[in-house]
Amino acid sequence: MAFLHLCKTDEIEPGSSLRVEPDKLPPLAVFNVDGEFFVINDTCSHGDASLCDGEIENGEVECPWHNAKFCIKSGKALTFPAVEAQKTYLTRVVDGCVGIEV
Amino acid sequence: MTSQFQISLSGSDASYACDDGDTLLRAGLRHGLGLAYECNVGACGSCKFDLIEGEVDDLFPAAPGLRPKERERGKRLACQCVPRSDCTIKIRSGAEYASAVRPGRATARCTGRVAVTPDMSIFTFSTGRPAAFLAGQYAMLTVPGVGQNRAYSMSNLANPNGDWEFIIRRVPGGQVSSHLFDTLKPGDSIEIDGPYGVAYLRRDIPRRIVGIAGGSGLAPVMSIMKDSASLPTAGSTPVMLFGGRTPKDIPDVPKLLEGSAAAIEFYPVISAPEPDGSADWSGDTGFVHEFIEHRLSTPLAECEYYLAGPPPMIESVVRLLVAEHKVPASQIHFDRFF
Repeated sequence: MAFLHLCKTDEIEPGSSLRVEPDKLPPLAVFNVDGEFFVINDTCSHGDASLCDGEIENGEVECPWHNAKFCIKSGKALTFPAVEAQKTYLTRVVDGCVGIEV
Repeated sequence: MTSQFQISLSGSDASYACDDGDTLLRAGLRHGLGLAYECNVGACGSCKFDLIEGEVDDLFPAAPGLRPKERERGKRLACQCVPRSDCTIKIRSGAEYASAVRPGRATARCTGRVAVTPDMSIFTFSTGRPAAFLAGQYAMLTVPGVGQNRAYSMSNLANPNGDWEFIIRRVPGGQVSSHLFDTLKPGDSIEIDGPYGVAYLRRDIPRRIVGIAGGSGLAPVMSIMKDSASLPTAGSTPVMLFGGRTPKDIPDVPKLLEGSAAAIEFYPVISAPEPDGSADWSGDTGFVHEFIEHRLSTPLAECEYYLAGPPPMIESVVRLLVAEHKVPASQIHFDRFF
């Protein structure tokens, strides 16, 4: 396992997200939920849309295309038409940087 | 004089002319563009777009396909917006949405009606031009004097004679279906606009065909079952499951397929058996998704699925197939009217 740096913590306001495109990984969505950071795949498991363009509320993100909701923490698909979970990543904050273990 | 407006797509060189009164979505599809959509009636939200420049009229400001928050941010539905000027719009697109048959309007004369269950009938219409569509597609029907149109799927196959067949359920209080059932007589005319829809039979995919329908979802699945007979390598027999509430809600599918050369396995399912067991019922009892695995002799991931019916049925079937049985979502076809 290695720590992959994605962004600085101060690049993402609480209640917002940032899309990051690391090498050899699918596009990732980094969320700041009340100061806690979570990383999941950015492309919706249902349609070809970026979850970083979606509305964030109560720890959930709503896909901007078909309005499927996902739990940001667990990646779980909460509403139709999505039925498959978003892949989640073990996320850590080190020295003001958000990263994942890969 | 009919005026036209020019619609440009932001981020691409594509543009198209939209006739006065036509929606942004339908006009784009008529021009062969693959604008993203499913239902055409403001319910699914797939055709949401940003208006970059120009003015539009919104035919259905309360359409459920958009959240209030999205409206506040200026999102609109292309299926419900009619331009009032030249426009530039930003909308999702994909080759899979471009209709193989470009949709067009035609006046259609009612030629007959036959009941298939107590609340569903086959309505037949004739147009002056060939009936061109893919099995599983739908058309928008407009009846005179009712300021609304409805999406109904064809239950027959494309033909040069201009015959269109729809299986329509009477919706209590429904303006369009009430008109069709109570007012329309043979010889009367309506307008048909189509074909639309992306849940058509994939003729080039050799996997076993499974049709799953409930209620008036019967129509597109019947069309797909009929069309399956013309596939050169049918391989395994197509399977159709149909869910209804009581035995009288189950249409006589084998009889309806007579003369179509389609040989299928048909499994009816009822959800509400007669409490005293009085009705003679030999089919399955429960919800249709509960019997898919039991009725398919083929591994579930090796089939191609076509779904049409009530939203809870579609959701249960998709959850079962994708989440539990790992069927790729690309093998499941339905137009989401919710």
